[in-house]
Amino acid sequence: MPAFERRNPNLVLVGLEEGRLSPVEAIQALRTSSDSHTKKREIETESLASSEWRLNEALTELDSLIGLTAVKALVRELVAYIRIQRIREMRQLASEALVLHMVFSGNPGTGKTTCARLMGKLFREMGVLEKGHLVERERADLVGEYIGHTAQKTRDQIKKALGGILFIDEAYSLATGGEKDFGKESISTLIKAMEDNKDRFIVILAGYREEMAKFIQSNPGIRSRFPIHIEFPDYTVEELMLIADLMLKKRDYRLDLAARARLEAHLSRNLGSNSEHSGNARLVRNIIERAIRRQALRLVDRKQLTREELMLIRREDIEGNHEAVHRFG
Amino acid sequence: MKRCIVLGKPNVGKTLLVLRLADYMKVKDVDITFQDPGGAKYSRKYPMDIAVRELVGALPHQTKCLQSVSIEFRAGKGKKTVELMDTTGLIEQIHDDPLTRKAMAQTLSALRGAQIIIHIIDAHLAGHEDAVSDPTERDLDMQLAAFAGPRGGYCIVANKMDLPGAKRGLARIRRLFTGYKVLPVSAATGEGLKEVRRHVLRNL
Ligand SMILES: Nc1nc2c(ncn2[C@@H]2O[C@H](COP(=O)(O)OP(=O)(O)O)[C@@H](O)[C@H]2O)c(=O)[nH]1
Ligand SMILES: [Mg+2]
Repeated sequence: MPAFERRNPNLVLVGLEEGRLSPVEAIQALRTSSDSHTKKREIETESLASSEWRLNEALTELDSLIGLTAVKALVRELVAYIRIQRIREMRQLASEALVLHMVFSGNPGTGKTTCARLMGKLFREMGVLEKGHLVERERADLVGEYIGHTAQKTRDQIKKALGGILFIDEAYSLATGGEKDFGKESISTLIKAMEDNKDRFIVILAGYREEMAKFIQSNPGIRSRFPIHIEFPDYTVEELMLIADLMLKKRDYRLDLAARARLEAHLSRNLGSNSEHSGNARLVRNIIERAIRRQALRLVDRKQLTREELMLIRREDIEGNHEAVHRFG
Repeated sequence: MKRCIVLGKPNVGKTLLVLRLADYMKVKDVDITFQDPGGAKYSRKYPMDIAVRELVGALPHQTKCLQSVSIEFRAGKGKKTVELMDTTGLIEQIHDDPLTRKAMAQTLSALRGAQIIIHIIDAHLAGHEDAVSDPTERDLDMQLAAFAGPRGGYCIVANKMDLPGAKRGLARIRRLFTGYKVLPVSAATGEGLKEVRRHVLRNL
């Protein structure tokens, strides 16, 4: 039984409940779980049911994200796979070690961080990770200025991520500095830590698609340790519109028809432009936030305001030019 | 508050022991909190004799969820409350009824949160089981002892000592479970309750 499994005896109990394990098998499995070895009598405050409930909660949250069809399917697969491997283990069938380090490729604002955060939650509820928190880092947090400094910096960040997920954004920048660059040292420190702390944390390397592909190709040490690759495609215009609606709804605003049309036209234009911001949710957020401020400016000197007026975003509130995007991007 | 769990196979006398221990500790009306595996809780107060009549059964799996009673123990100068938890009996095989399975999972879950563990074995039955064939690794009591024993606050109660053949059963239990504390008890007559009480007190 792998180490992480020992940290979540709740799964054993679920197996018993669902009739996949007999009570004797369940007790055997619990016996090998760490809390009996260490004699640590933690008070079992959270019930089984609540852990299952939170797992479903996280899955529902994932489903409620707009788009990301492939990601959702893959997460479902992973959840099922982890469960079945566990049950196989408990029934003494050969089971594979779970290696869940991942590569997320896609443009900024395509949902990578959001998904990583949700995966942390899911893995915690499944007992794969102890805490499931997300530690988001980039090159500057990992690479130091002199020899030895980098290893220390990288180790410090890994320490913070133990029990959760270390999410390294623009990971390829660790390898772009040439032979003498300390980025290499960071990579080797990371790989060593992954070996030393098997099952204690998950590493997600994220970044633009092409750069990530090149990075992985040229680093066999990384390639062999990151079996899961997930692509985050750009959002379509329809998806971006849904995202806009959701963002506005959460804030008690809505678009009138003309504003909708303008936003949609703007997004389509952008999507074709192949610019850095095309097809990402951050672009939408910037436009919406700008629109909310512009609406406020439009209304601020008016004496009488209806509820409706306070909620409505009109055509003139949506800025059509690219300037706005870059200023706030 | 410390939690004391009473567990074992069905029909070994868990419920009766809990009630008799409460009685022995001068609880007049037992206030039982029923805790559904789903999370719902409700409590009911019974006069002792009615509790025994309604909750103790000749059929297995009379107890369908955690049933706990609070008991006050005098400890030194002060008083300490112990939550005495009666549980659904554990069997070896996968049970057909989902609710019973759920209740058994609840038993194991509660076990993990208990500081005092009373594992009951039916000494009468043990005395009549073929002494030649010892239980295997798959025996529930063996597994339970191996799991719960090292957790501390653990003892085995060899119950139904009032019945014929129970002495032989007790000897067999002592042999099979060497190294564990074994207390001979009859929940029916009250024999041995004093030792059970002392075991709880010692682990407060
Ligand atoms: N003779 C005798 N019968 C007992 C004793 N303890 C329990 N019983 C009987 O065993 C049966 C099962 O008891 P119960 O407490 O419901 O068992 P549980 O399923 O473990 O909770 C009932 O018919 C009880 O009256 C005992 O010490 N001596
Ligand atoms: Mg009972």
